[in-house]
Amino acid sequence: MKLFSVILSYLLPFFYIGLIYVYYLVFTGKYKSLTSKTTVFLIITALIHLAEIVTRQLVLGTMPLSTMHDAFSFLAFSILVVYLIIEISLNNKASGFFVLSFAFLLELISSFNLSWEKETNALLTNFYFTIHASMSIMGYTALSLSAIYALMYIYQNRNLKLKRIGRLSSQFPALTYLEKMSIRSVVIGIILLGLGIFHGHIQANRTFGTYYPIDIKVIVSDLIWLFYLAGYVLSRIMRWRGKWMAWLSVSGFAFLMIIGVMVMLFAESFHRFY
Amino acid sequence: MTNYIPIGIIGISHKTAPVEIRDKVVLTEEDQFRVLKEYREKVDADGLLAITTCNRTEIYISGENFHDNLDQIRILLNQLKKCSYFTDEKLTYKHIGFDAVTHFFRLISGMDSQIIGEPQITGQVKEAYCRAFELKATDTIINKMFEYGLHAEKIIRTDTYLSDGAVSVSFAGVELARQIFSDFNNKTALLIGAGETVELAARHFIDKGIQNIRIANRTASRAQELAKKLNGQAFAFTHLEEAFNNVDIIISATASDAYIITKEILKPICESRNYRPLFMIDLAMPRDIDPEVETLDGVYLYNLDHLNNIVALNLEKRKNELPKAEKIINESLEDFRKWNASHSMGAVIGRLKKHFENLRDDEFKRLKNKLPDNGKAEIEYLTQSIINKLIHQHIKTLKKSASNPERYQEQVDFLFDLYDIDKD
Repeated sequence: MKLFSVILSYLLPFFYIGLIYVYYLVFTGKYKSLTSKTTVFLIITALIHLAEIVTRQLVLGTMPLSTMHDAFSFLAFSILVVYLIIEISLNNKASGFFVLSFAFLLELISSFNLSWEKETNALLTNFYFTIHASMSIMGYTALSLSAIYALMYIYQNRNLKLKRIGRLSSQFPALTYLEKMSIRSVVIGIILLGLGIFHGHIQANRTFGTYYPIDIKVIVSDLIWLFYLAGYVLSRIMRWRGKWMAWLSVSGFAFLMIIGVMVMLFAESFHRFY
Repeated sequence: MTNYIPIGIIGISHKTAPVEIRDKVVLTEEDQFRVLKEYREKVDADGLLAITTCNRTEIYISGENFHDNLDQIRILLNQLKKCSYFTDEKLTYKHIGFDAVTHFFRLISGMDSQIIGEPQITGQVKEAYCRAFELKATDTIINKMFEYGLHAEKIIRTDTYLSDGAVSVSFAGVELARQIFSDFNNKTALLIGAGETVELAARHFIDKGIQNIRIANRTASRAQELAKKLNGQAFAFTHLEEAFNNVDIIISATASDAYIITKEILKPICESRNYRPLFMIDLAMPRDIDPEVETLDGVYLYNLDHLNNIVALNLEKRKNELPKAEKIINESLEDFRKWNASHSMGAVIGRLKKHFENLRDDEFKRLKNKLPDNGKAEIEYLTQSIINKLIHQHIKTLKKSASNPERYQEQVDFLFDLYDIDKD
């Protein structure tokens, strides 16, 4: 079982690369016949990834979310699944190349950090942690998708304004669709991340006896969530839209990434799993 | 594999004749009925197919005497259309055998059209075939040629970009608008001007789902007339700014020599609509819309040059797809060739004959020493006669079902099963 899981872990980036290549061919319009087959490739990759997560859980005996490998792998898997739902429901394949490239990067980081140490920390093996971690990761997935759609909006808006009309730009979804998807993803991200953080505070109270332990990672996570919530509420009140809303989403995600990396690398936190 | 197929075609198209001549040789519904029923019987063709569009008139004839029949049909068509174009070698083209089939496959796929990849031709060929089929004017070869051709067309449509992208300026506007709006259902379009150009562009948008149409024109009566036609709402030109309210698409084509829409006019409108996307097409020459408006957020302005560029780009894209489409045509042609070699009427009769001849030879060999020497020639003649009678009966049955592809196939399968002949 372990060997099977290890093989899958190393093979997964190759499946993602294959998937990206298929979407690249669809996006550039080289093989029109592939357009109707992308969903099948997507489902196969998702099932293989799911098999990897399940086998790791069976071998380790806990939900695999606490190591760097597992966190990034789950994030990539979430992006894949969310994108699969979007593709099936909206029947638009043009954004696949961009969204899945991001998922591939996360999967690659995950594969380079493969470890097989069984999680013994009680904090990380209980039910609340699973809910807290999975909700937070799915929340970040939604926020990263929002940034990808926002980037696509900025690119396409620029193309249309500068009259750069070619096969590539015509493959893109409509501007109004990209805007809608970006905003919808932010709302989903705020809800899921909010639930994740909420469960984190409940868990903190059960473990440390306080809902709000003074810890840099907790503070930063709460600030990021508040930043997104405030940004969204403000945008509704001020009726921001179009490229300004897109830039807000992209800059919000850039801020999230920079702060997140800095905290992980330089700050001391009880909230360190690897 | 046999390379022979008894079919030929004569035609006049945009490649060989100017529009004035093509106009005169178009076959009306009544003409087509006459050609398919009366002329087919007159020339005694097994199958006949008449295709007539604004760009071509073509007659396909199948059967053993198709060479002579093609010549006869030229004369009959000249008489029908009271002209001499059909016998003029310079104005017509002729293909025979597999060249005719290749031509048909290219035709049904839009590869022979004036605008490469235009999809209307497929519908027109289907219509022509259905008419011929209903009048029992088609035979197995024409039925199968249509079936294989339609299959090739489907593959070309799904696997290549031969029919993709707008190739007219008015439709290019719709294509661009689709890059801004994901659906047109709840969108409002304002037409400035009431001429043909605006109407044509508006009709494309209506086809794609736009329901709210406003028309503003200097001559109010023309605006009202067009509003009636398009089920829209007419606005006086003096109330143009009122017409801008909640508009998503503006199509303008007036004869004005000054800008009708300027940045100053549009800025407060954009502010009031919170910079929601506003798509504008300026089809006028000189232009109606000041290009400066594009500096406003959410405004996307395209003029005739931009639209012409899109059309040129799409045409180029279609041309680049031709090699892929040719490859698909060749593959389908190969499949058709295989079918013809094993299942066409000639092939089936040939195989039946061979089967009976083999039987006869085997029996002769077996009884060689038992037969009296002086009666051998008579017995040989007798058995040959029996074989011919038997085969003749099968040919009659096959010919009866030739106009119905399913019944023909059933008959062939039945005969192959009955005599244990390999179906491939």
